[in-house]
Amino acid sequence: MQLILPSLIVFPMLSAVVSYVIGRHSKKARNIFTCSASLLVFGGTLWLLLMALRGEQTLEFHLEGFCGMGMNLKADGFRSLYVCVAALMWAGTGLFSPQYFAHYRNRNRYHFFCLFTLGATLGVFLSDDLYTTFVFFEIMSFTSYTWVAHEETPGAMRAAETYLAVAVIGGMVTLMGLFLTYQALGTLSFDGMLKAAKALENRNGLYLPGALILFGFGAKGGMFPVHIWLPKAHPVAPAPASALLSGILTKTGIFGILAISLSIFREDAVWGLVILLLGCITMFLGALLGLFSIDLKRTLACSSMSQIGFILVGIGCQCLLGEESSLAAQGTVLHMVNHSLFKLVLFMCAGTVYMHLHKLDLNDIRGWGRRKPFLMICFLMAGLGISGIPLWSGFVSKSLLHEGILEYVHEGAAYAGIAKAVEIIFVLTGGLTLSYMTKLFVAVFVEKHPTRQKEFDENRHYLSLPGRIAIAIPAILVFLFGLTPSFSMRALSDLAMPFLRSHSHAVNYFSSENLIGALKSVLVAAVVYPFIVRRWMMKADVKMGGERYINRWLKHFDLEDSVYRPLILGLLRIFGCFFSLCDQLLEKALMPFLMTLGSLIAEGADRLMDGLIVPCLEGLGTFFGRILDTVTDLSVIGLKKSVMRTRKPAPRPTVGSLLAFRIGLVLDRIILFLNHTILRFHPIRTKFVPVIAAAEQNVLETSRYYSRTISFSLLMFAIGLLIFLIFILR
Amino acid sequence: MTILMMILTILFPAAGALALKLVPGLNENRKRLFLFTAAFLLIDCALALITALCGDAEWTFLHLTDSLPLMLKSDMLSRFFSVFFTIMWTVPALYAYKYMEHEGHEQRYDMFYLLTLAALNALAYSGTAVTMYLNFEMMTLLSVALVLHEMTKEAIAAGLKYLIYSIAGATMGLLGIFYLATNTNGAVFVPGGSLNPSGMTISVTAMMVILLVTLVGFGTKAGMFPMHAWLPTAHPIAPAPASAVLSGVITKAGVLCILRIIFYVVGVDFIRGTWLQQALLTLSLLTVFMGSMMAYRTDLLKKRLAYSTVSQVSYVLMGIFMLQPTALTGSLLHIIFHSAIKTTLFLAAGSIIHQTGKTKVSELEGIGKQMPVTIWCFTIASLGLIGIPPTGGFISKWNLAQGALASGTGVFSWLGPVVLLISALLTAGYLLPVTIHGFFPGKDFDYEGLKTCECHRFMLISMIICVVFVVLGGMFPGAFIAFFGRIASSLM
Repeated sequence: MQLILPSLIVFPMLSAVVSYVIGRHSKKARNIFTCSASLLVFGGTLWLLLMALRGEQTLEFHLEGFCGMGMNLKADGFRSLYVCVAALMWAGTGLFSPQYFAHYRNRNRYHFFCLFTLGATLGVFLSDDLYTTFVFFEIMSFTSYTWVAHEETPGAMRAAETYLAVAVIGGMVTLMGLFLTYQALGTLSFDGMLKAAKALENRNGLYLPGALILFGFGAKGGMFPVHIWLPKAHPVAPAPASALLSGILTKTGIFGILAISLSIFREDAVWGLVILLLGCITMFLGALLGLFSIDLKRTLACSSMSQIGFILVGIGCQCLLGEESSLAAQGTVLHMVNHSLFKLVLFMCAGTVYMHLHKLDLNDIRGWGRRKPFLMICFLMAGLGISGIPLWSGFVSKSLLHEGILEYVHEGAAYAGIAKAVEIIFVLTGGLTLSYMTKLFVAVFVEKHPTRQKEFDENRHYLSLPGRIAIAIPAILVFLFGLTPSFSMRALSDLAMPFLRSHSHAVNYFSSENLIGALKSVLVAAVVYPFIVRRWMMKADVKMGGERYINRWLKHFDLEDSVYRPLILGLLRIFGCFFSLCDQLLEKALMPFLMTLGSLIAEGADRLMDGLIVPCLEGLGTFFGRILDTVTDLSVIGLKKSVMRTRKPAPRPTVGSLLAFRIGLVLDRIILFLNHTILRFHPIRTKFVPVIAAAEQNVLETSRYYSRTISFSLLMFAIGLLIFLIFILR
Repeated sequence: MTILMMILTILFPAAGALALKLVPGLNENRKRLFLFTAAFLLIDCALALITALCGDAEWTFLHLTDSLPLMLKSDMLSRFFSVFFTIMWTVPALYAYKYMEHEGHEQRYDMFYLLTLAALNALAYSGTAVTMYLNFEMMTLLSVALVLHEMTKEAIAAGLKYLIYSIAGATMGLLGIFYLATNTNGAVFVPGGSLNPSGMTISVTAMMVILLVTLVGFGTKAGMFPMHAWLPTAHPIAPAPASAVLSGVITKAGVLCILRIIFYVVGVDFIRGTWLQQALLTLSLLTVFMGSMMAYRTDLLKKRLAYSTVSQVSYVLMGIFMLQPTALTGSLLHIIFHSAIKTTLFLAAGSIIHQTGKTKVSELEGIGKQMPVTIWCFTIASLGLIGIPPTGGFISKWNLAQGALASGTGVFSWLGPVVLLISALLTAGYLLPVTIHGFFPGKDFDYEGLKTCECHRFMLISMIICVVFVVLGGMFPGAFIAFFGRIASSLM
């Protein structure tokens, strides 16, 4: 049974693909398919809601390891209620869009992304931990971009750029918040964070991650000061898409803010005060912008911002009140539901006007709604609802929020003074809401167009049956809820109490105090509308006669154009220039510099080598080579000249030794005898005495040298041996 | 057995390259050439996967000296990188079959393609720093052929620049390897490192300076500042499938070397908390920001993507330098997801050039109407690179940021995530305009004169495989996170 939760997400995404494929072949079949797919999803969510109303067990679904941290889905009362509202809005716009888009291009793209966003949005509302919320939130942000850009006019592209920038920056800032939260608390599941934050002793470290997350979700919700995309994107998006952007996508931001406010910052007064003040500014600023605007859809967009402010005030009160927050909690959830329904009706009414006139300026569409009772009644229902008139549902939720603030004021807690001021602005904003809704109503349905009124009146078949059904159902709901608050709205708010960590509390919706509050707002409007709107904001029209609406808002006062864009683009330019300079420096200057330096050094070294070092080395080398070459010879010569010097040879004996003389004498006698006898004719004249002496001398000499040479070698051998011995014995 | 498989994984593509040269008639027949190359690549994928299933092994095949062994080693990291290299090398090959038709010289391209894969696998399975260095140089030299494939003057200049930077980087790396090899046991890779700070031949400060030089040197391949300048020159010039692998795979080879040096030779304790870590983190964060910023300011699509690579690979380096298990897991995740994403982006850019001849982002009005599937792939890959859930880029960023916050590196622990997110914003700023102008050309767009010129389905298949992996891998990353977590916890 719990598989219904993921299939609520996956089914629209798959049907998106199917619708694209069908759309390639048949536009009509595609329209039928997308309508039935969103109706089917609506059926599924309605079943969930009924189960929740009957008090059946809460469905949960866990998918371990999805995107690393797992996917946790849960369908408690609040979530069932809100997925049902979301699916209702998709089904409503789905019925309305075939007629609206009849002459558009790229319809396949619209339907594909519309269904895909449905899946992602349901994912956000079903999520049970911030990680899952974030995953689907990012998918939703990117797929819904195509809605804003759909018309592809320059204005639409610019608004889409803003939307994308806010979505990307918001997403990344939220992600940083998630990093820090996970680091601090170790969990991102809603219940887990509540426990972990309670257990934490020093909670100051949580404000930064909280603020970062608030930035991201607040940007999607349209919270001041990151509301900039909202008044720009809604007017340029196709009307069904505007209804969804305003009615549901802003609520995903609120869902995120609720998730952290009621888990990490439950009963945190500082946090509550911040939200309260931001809500208060958003509420008042939105209403003021709405009052000034003379563009039908822009007024509605500003109104969305203002209503988001009301809801934020409710959330702030819940944090401030802590345990006693029942009234504020009921007000918050009911105003969320109510605002979705109002904006569904109002944007589809505006879409009906645009579909026929392709204009949104109040001066151009004046009187188009005359003699169109169906459209008028539906618009009136939503208009009275959003203005908080008794008997319509907005009264109930606004009264509850109002009582929430008063409760805090009566408690006399620390910030009671601030809360009192907020209460006054709250009533004032209620009056402004009524004023701008009256302005719209009067312009479209009461006044007459100076030139085209006849043409307008003849346009009777302005809306197809599915479109009528789509507009009528939420309008009827608004009225029915307002008539029977203690039956219908009580049941719905009770459903949401577990999620809002509060408890149900009986309320007398039509108490005199509440009625007086509503009366005060009506009185404000009674002053503002006739005296400011009709007098100051209108001017006599010279061309066409009568009066026309003029935009009194300062032309150049735009937060985005005057602050955010210059800031971000300036930063980008500064850093860009800096780094491209670095890069160029590195590439164009440093590398060539190093290269040149390197080659210079190399060249210089080369020259130096050639000119100086090489000859020097050569000379030195030759010198040392010579030395080394001759060292042995020289040492030998040295030795020979010193140690082994040859003494001067003894004077040669003329006679020789006695033995040699005797041998010589004997030999001489023999020769003499032989000369006288045998060799008489050939006598030998040689005297043998000196010859023998010389031979003896020679032999002696040689033997002396020989002995000296051996002794030299022996000496060398002995030295070598000694070195060797020293070496081995060391 | 494991050793045999390991060697086969390395040598098989090299054998393939040889076969391409030797088998007659391949140069004349494109189809047969492609089938041959594809067969070798696919079989090598199978071999790498089989090797990955076998256990640890190491094989010393040569001793340069007694204390410097050359070793092949199969551990978790090498098996992961080998499988990663091989698969990411195979996917663009299919694309190249159609794309390279107009580039010519396919036989040469395919040969060097296969040879580079062999060198990459050898790099993955290197068991010592010296082996790694040799394979690193080999990979550089072989991959130059991919850069200067077109052989124009520009291409050759880019190829030379790539070569100079890479070799300069590798030489800087070699310096460290000398000292590390003397101070550890031959710089053999040991999980957790084996450098003993007390018994070093040089002082600790000197060692750190040398390590900084070494890591910056290997960071050249990963495009780390200040050695990043080759990327924006080489990537736009190379043919699209080659730029895809240069950016998606070859830059990761530099990351692998840095991983090996830090976690397998030096050890985290030596670096943690020192000025070295801070210097490295500063460099990587500077690169992240600078790359994104430059990409944002560049109009040439492929050059923009190249700068984006500079930025994104430094995400990985930042995760490594945090020296924290979760951050390291994030880094490893980002390696695979960035690779798949950047492959898709470069291939899509290549398809645009192939079909329309447009190279600048400002010329791409209405391109989505002309090439819907390509631009869809480009868009999803862009979202992945920005880090939008449920794509893979988000998962890696989550882990990187969580790791950074838990790393205890002082100011860097929060500055890291902040820079990542600012860079993500810039990424959105430089990638989404292609999609926006492509699909929303404006109200006055001439729909009548529109001609669809979608690229060939082989080219689409490569991109679609990557995109499907990025999305499915992002939705169900459990197995990857567990595996990388195991690697990370074995190192710290």
